[in-house]
Amino acid sequence: MSRREGSLEDPQADSSVSLLPHLEAKIRQTHSLAHLLTKYAEQLLQEYVQHQGDPFGLPGFSPPRLPVAGLSAPAPSQAGLPLPERLRLDAAALAALPPMLDAVRRRQAELNPHAPRLLRHLEDAARQARALGAAVETVLAALGAAARGPRPEPPAAATAAGVFPAKVLGLRVCGLYRDWVSRTEGDLSQLVPGGPA
Amino acid sequence: MPAGSPGPAAQSARRPPPLLPLLLLCVLGAPRAGSGAHTAVISPQDPTLLIGSSLQATCSVHGDPPGATAEGLYWTLNGRRLAPELSRVLNASTLALALANLNGSRQQSGDNLVCHARDGSILAGSCLYVGLPPEKPFNISCWSKNMKDLTCRWTPGAHGETFLHTNYSLKYKLRWYGQDNTCEEYHTVGPHSCHIPKDLALFTPYEIWVEATNRLGSARSDVLTLDILDVVTTDPPPDVHVSRVGGLEDQLSVRWVSPPALKDFLFQAKYQIRYRVEDSVDWKVVDDVSNQTSCRLAGLKPGTVYFVQVRCNPFGIYGSKKAGIWSEWSHPTAASTPRSERPGLGGGACEPRGGEPSSGPVRRELKQFLGWLKKHAYCSNLSFRLYDQWRAWMQKSHKTRNQDEGILPSGRRGTARGPAR
Repeated sequence: MSRREGSLEDPQADSSVSLLPHLEAKIRQTHSLAHLLTKYAEQLLQEYVQHQGDPFGLPGFSPPRLPVAGLSAPAPSQAGLPLPERLRLDAAALAALPPMLDAVRRRQAELNPHAPRLLRHLEDAARQARALGAAVETVLAALGAAARGPRPEPPAAATAAGVFPAKVLGLRVCGLYRDWVSRTEGDLSQLVPGGPA
Repeated sequence: MPAGSPGPAAQSARRPPPLLPLLLLCVLGAPRAGSGAHTAVISPQDPTLLIGSSLQATCSVHGDPPGATAEGLYWTLNGRRLAPELSRVLNASTLALALANLNGSRQQSGDNLVCHARDGSILAGSCLYVGLPPEKPFNISCWSKNMKDLTCRWTPGAHGETFLHTNYSLKYKLRWYGQDNTCEEYHTVGPHSCHIPKDLALFTPYEIWVEATNRLGSARSDVLTLDILDVVTTDPPPDVHVSRVGGLEDQLSVRWVSPPALKDFLFQAKYQIRYRVEDSVDWKVVDDVSNQTSCRLAGLKPGTVYFVQVRCNPFGIYGSKKAGIWSEWSHPTAASTPRSERPGLGGGACEPRGGEPSSGPVRRELKQFLGWLKKHAYCSNLSFRLYDQWRAWMQKSHKTRNQDEGILPSGRRGTARGPAR
């Protein structure tokens, strides 16, 4: 076995090879961050729908889940991928989210200028996604599983003509942010020592 | 009746969508070829309308395969289904809607008008902005803290309720020259306020006004003209101390320091003092404490805690003829008057507004007498200070007399048993 700090191949298989303490701490921290951001993302989604007016936020409201350029929702089929690949997908999604969240914030600044909390939370979400993505990439690098080659630049954020489509797009982006942060938390939990295998 | 000039979005015009950069679009209503799904377009998109006006809208369905039908489509507005009689099928693929006497928008992001398929799925949406143009802002007032900045406040016209996001912009310029400037720091002392932190000229008038703009139009306030030196305020006086005046039961001495920020500008300050009994909400005010930093409150109740505050008005800065603007009150300072050994000493006050009458006339008459004496007699040293000293002496000698007669001092109650030893 190469003298790497750890391995993602099968972290639980050989109990005599334990992750170094600082790597273990980093994984725990990143997992805790993902857990916290999952809660924040859920709150952001609730706050967002409140400011768009009904029917946003009404039970049963279901706008078309149109594709967002450069990012799709986490797919159930991805659960079958190896953990390194799942974490790479998580990191890529978290890197794509900040410009989208920024675009949503800019549009909401026009639509809801007297909602400073919402605008601040959208700004925070972009920053938090960036931070979590960087933390996941650090973990991947420490485990020797970082993505090879330069990561492609995330595409410029999608925009929508019309106010109603812009509201729907913002809802979609906030939903994607929540879904990917939650997926990242789940994937990291498999790395946390003592967590689910 | 709308006030001000009509805005560019006053009509419910059909505007072409803006040109978009080379991005992938997420446009609700854009048809997707070969998908087998129906989508729609609502017209007009995002109209702006006056309260009470009407709206004619259409929802045109298109999709693959062609021949999508308008049958079964319905409208909702802010999540509520609209009555079927408001809609009619225009043609095979278009459902029309007629709304009359529109109310003001429920939220500033626009009312959500949505076109649904028979199964309830959303085909298209458009946001309505229903409101009023702004009315003229008025009642602009401004003040400068220590001549360093300028803060202005105003009242929006029509109590501010236009149902649309209305932007207020405070503008200012030097009266006879210079360009228009726009204030940038808003909501500093309330929702309709702005703060100009620097680069203000003295000795030359400014013109100040407020412009209100929303989707339905704009309005401008009257112009206020002022010189910074005429609207100066300052900090409350620091270091306010309240203390007893020897043993005098009905007096307290108040001392303070003049606000340091303006000490170099050769101004005459006026001060006001207000005070109240601890468990009262009624303040008594002492006016016109001119250019001095101490005052004595008299006619107070013995054995009572008083709260005292002081504020300052800097007038006459650099020769300005106008009164300045009163500062905020200093933090309350408390002190108590000594307890009385004589029952029935009631409260009066030192030259209050509406002061208690019991000591007022006595003190007034005494003042008049002393004034007369100064004019007509050779008693130039007579003053209230001497009077107070006499009163203190009287109380002391009254105490001594009581002790000699065997009446114990307060706090040691009991039956007198002959002369004290």
